[in-house]
Amino acid sequence: MKSYLVFSFFFLSSVLMLGQNRQLLFDFDEIPQSLMVNPGADTNHKWHVGVPVISGFMVQGATSGVTVNDIFADDGVDINLKVRERMIEGMNSRDDFSITSQIEGFYVGFQGRNRPDNYYSFGMYGETDIIVYWPEDLARLAFDGNGGPNIGRQFDLGDLNLRGEMTTVFHFGIRKKVRDNLTLGFRGKLYSNIFNHKSTNNSGTFLTTEGEDNILSNSITADMGLQTAGLNEIRDILREDTDTTREDLTSLFTNRVLLGGNLGLGLDLGFTYELNEQTQISGSVLDLGFIYNSKDVLSYTLEGTAVNEGINVLLPEDINTIGEDRWQQLVDEIEAALPFEENQDNYIMLRPVKLYGSITHDWGEGASGTRRENCGCAINVRGGGNSEQYYRNRIGGLLYMIKRPLGVQAALTGSYQRRFGRNFSVKTSYTIDKYSFSNIGLGLALKAGPVQFYILGDNLLSYQNIAGSNYASLQFGFNILSWNDN
Amino acid sequence: MIMKKLGALPLLWITFFLSFQACSDKQNFDQFDDLQITPLVASSLFAVEVEESFINTITTATAFYSETFNFDAFTERFVAENLLEGTISYEIENSTSKPVTLVIEFLDAGGNALDAERFDIPAAPTALLTRDVAYGPGGKPLDILINTTDLRITGVNLGDNTSTSTETDPKISLKSAAEFLVQVK
Repeated sequence: MKSYLVFSFFFLSSVLMLGQNRQLLFDFDEIPQSLMVNPGADTNHKWHVGVPVISGFMVQGATSGVTVNDIFADDGVDINLKVRERMIEGMNSRDDFSITSQIEGFYVGFQGRNRPDNYYSFGMYGETDIIVYWPEDLARLAFDGNGGPNIGRQFDLGDLNLRGEMTTVFHFGIRKKVRDNLTLGFRGKLYSNIFNHKSTNNSGTFLTTEGEDNILSNSITADMGLQTAGLNEIRDILREDTDTTREDLTSLFTNRVLLGGNLGLGLDLGFTYELNEQTQISGSVLDLGFIYNSKDVLSYTLEGTAVNEGINVLLPEDINTIGEDRWQQLVDEIEAALPFEENQDNYIMLRPVKLYGSITHDWGEGASGTRRENCGCAINVRGGGNSEQYYRNRIGGLLYMIKRPLGVQAALTGSYQRRFGRNFSVKTSYTIDKYSFSNIGLGLALKAGPVQFYILGDNLLSYQNIAGSNYASLQFGFNILSWNDN
Repeated sequence: MIMKKLGALPLLWITFFLSFQACSDKQNFDQFDDLQITPLVASSLFAVEVEESFINTITTATAFYSETFNFDAFTERFVAENLLEGTISYEIENSTSKPVTLVIEFLDAGGNALDAERFDIPAAPTALLTRDVAYGPGGKPLDILINTTDLRITGVNLGDNTSTSTETDPKISLKSAAEFLVQVK
């Protein structure tokens, strides 16, 4: 059981993620889900309906530090040595483990009957996003302690940084072609949070030095906090461990999925601008929003400054205190100076904002007479769809950024897309970021009749030894759709 | 029919995609059981400082200081259950004109003395007296610490009650600290 837990942690931590970057999906206009990463995407559908639950599944995992293989490879090396060299000595406080998953409940889109320049889409999906930074100094303190060579070493309590949430998102978006060369889009979002927690912006130090009144002095200054919402009731149900635990959990999750959790609002914005017939720039900003946590809130704080030199008796000053409970007095003094407290104060949790910006260039007309200005199309057709109007090739460059607890993380992607008729398209990409310099991805979208299947995978080279991968991502889904034939 | 229509090149792409079967070097997650986390925890324990002028005021008893106080540091559950070994260090300085004996007794919950450290310190001038007492493998039994709930510290004046040292701020001081190796995992 323990092994499974360990495996699960490291598998989820190091095999399945890269902080929500969906570089293969961006500008992959044949796939309706590309509207989810750019509400102003240049798609060309008359309508689409995602196959419920399996229209969009995505899981990403990343670690900028150790991988599963680094620690658990069956290589005969003592695990204590591996942990020492590769984690305690080998990682720093900016290294992170992160995981993101997303599953669509439903997703529908259609072209406006009276406003063919508009494309409306709406749906619901669930998202889980967790990032944990390596608590460098806290880990060293846990492994080595404050004694021996660490006397005089200052441990940074600010190394504790983590954030996680599970959220249901109900969304409605409009993409509108406002000019021949400009498409804009927005998507409004209503969040129903199932649970979240965060411990960021911590600060403080722990230091052991030579004391003044005794041999050693332990001093701690802390301004730390952990905010949670939604976890307390889950924990209570699990603790009760009754015959109805499963039902109670199901009921709780169902309620929170269906707008019974902590609620929030968000907005996605996007655009596509055609510089010329074959070149376009596009961009989007996603999840400009927040969740207001007022239900099932339980937060913890540790704030203050305390110095400990043990029990001190000075005579004659303390002559009248002889016989008192000196140990309890010491404990009380420390707890008063450095209180660990709980509260149920409401708090706002901002969503992790994402930003995409890209430039693409198309060439190689797929059929004769494909000039856009002559086609009389209501919406763009460059992105594929109409068999008479597409370019076979597309290259692109994409910049991705996401706001993380310790700052902005960025990734740069170059991609090439090849279209084989209206129903089959393949895209490959190369991405560099903090997790990998060798991330080659591959995706395809295949339409058979009205059914489209797509699958996108990242960092494929690492699949040769998945346990040694710093980053992996997989997304796939089924849609029923119709191209816009205007 | 569809595949035929798509032609050979797409088939090559699909084959290429599917060829990326996830492989992995052999992993052994049972290694986790062998992982050991054993920090060395350091902290001061207790200190007593007595001025010579105070010692001179104690004329009715030989012990100028004797106190038994609760000391739960060793019996805290985390320490008691995970202590592997440890060292308690003492530093004693006597700048008074009197020879002094200090005794530190480790008492269990019933008030029984489990162990004692005795220090006989000559009158000033005298060097700083230090002593490291090891517990655990190669040292005294860990049970002494684990079962200690109280400490009794006694200071006895072996000299007179009238003289005063020529040292600045004459006093006797006892300091102590511990370094414990604990097994977190």
